[in-house]
Amino acid sequence: MRIEVLDPSHESDVREFKAAPRLASLNGTTVAIMSNGKKGTQPFFDAFERELLEGHGVAKVVRLTKANYSAPAEPELLNEAERWQALIAGVGD
Amino acid sequence: MASNPGAKQKPALQSKRYALDDVAAAQEFFHSRGWTDGLPVVPPTPQAVEACLEWVLMPPDQLLGIEPVRQRAITAEKLAVNAVMAGCLPMHFPVVVTAFTAMLQEPFLLHGATASTGGCAILVVVNGPIRQELGMSGTFNALGPSDRATTVIGRAIRLILCNLLDARPGDVDRSTLGHPGKISYCVAEDEEHSPWLPLAEERGIPPQASAVTVLAAGAPRQLMNEWTTRPEEILDTFVAEIRANMRHYSIWPGNYALVVPPQLRAHFERAGWSKADIRRYVAHKARVRRSEWAECGKGAVVGERGEREYAAFTDENDVLVIAAGGPAGGFGAVIPPWYGNKSRAVTMAIGACVDCTV
Repeated sequence: MRIEVLDPSHESDVREFKAAPRLASLNGTTVAIMSNGKKGTQPFFDAFERELLEGHGVAKVVRLTKANYSAPAEPELLNEAERWQALIAGVGD
Repeated sequence: MASNPGAKQKPALQSKRYALDDVAAAQEFFHSRGWTDGLPVVPPTPQAVEACLEWVLMPPDQLLGIEPVRQRAITAEKLAVNAVMAGCLPMHFPVVVTAFTAMLQEPFLLHGATASTGGCAILVVVNGPIRQELGMSGTFNALGPSDRATTVIGRAIRLILCNLLDARPGDVDRSTLGHPGKISYCVAEDEEHSPWLPLAEERGIPPQASAVTVLAAGAPRQLMNEWTTRPEEILDTFVAEIRANMRHYSIWPGNYALVVPPQLRAHFERAGWSKADIRRYVAHKARVRRSEWAECGKGAVVGERGEREYAAFTDENDVLVIAAGGPAGGFGAVIPPWYGNKSRAVTMAIGACVDCTV
């Protein structure tokens, strides 16, 4: 016997995300790196910061850290991030 | 049959509908789309879903909350579809609705709890008369498959997380290790055989109201002490398990649940110990020094603060004491929090309105 069933998923309730505009070059820019706050991000982002400064012509790297690595970034961090030309978010254990 | 123009029309269900050959085809259809936990599901027919909604007097589009990270609206209809799949009857649905509404409260940190590598599950503790109405048993095999209602309510929570928030393994759920409670994790407190206040009442719910408490929790860690009748010594065993968790897993304070079966409860009752007495004793004793990490392979992170003391509780009310378990055996269990006090246990009365203004 045929049966009719309902979709259990969120269906159309999917929020659209758009990628941020791409930068033509990192040269002379200020780039923010946002850590989730875990200890393991520190050496990784230290090396990453050096790479950006020495290898890609970035003028300045700003380091941001979330207060709670399992929660979204605080609004003040996101507000601050809007001041820079690029933001890289990363997690680490 | 003549239509009644005065009759109120039932709001239409909004979910997409699929016509399938039979129940067996429905199983494969749902499994193939990743909509199950691997076990067979009850096909969510419109009739079964409408029956759940009618039981709680909610229209399909009743908004129960918005998951803040993904900004996803959670509606009664979608909860009902998943509850039916889990095996819920309409009478079970109020518990599911309340549990998920509690999980959507900000202190619960739902996204973190369901996305973390830490691998927790959502423990649902049920209090009040609804337990008896649903035939929920907080006795034999508590924390396991003790009865139908307990199993299907816990399973519904997991299916909702998978299907509405994409908390499937490797998708949003990034757990390194899960635990069996991620299939179903629910317990009804054994209020009938306990001298103590029910958990929900201790947490501010009026007496005789039914309520749920949700906790982002690790797996139960079972313990045993049949060699004393002294409350302090029994609790020292519970404290040892909490301390072990702080040493081996996470040092951060949070909501630990202590599950106390009847054989141990009898010793507390004879000695006149209330849940408040237990909370006070445990909160005082459950502490470790940072240097202890060196004894279990974590010496690298002891640093200069070896003498610093860490308490498992910043407030003795964070100890959740639950009367549950079969009548014989000097067993108990400690259920650790997922991630300290970043996620807080939330208690909510069944039938309460979260957003109503008086």
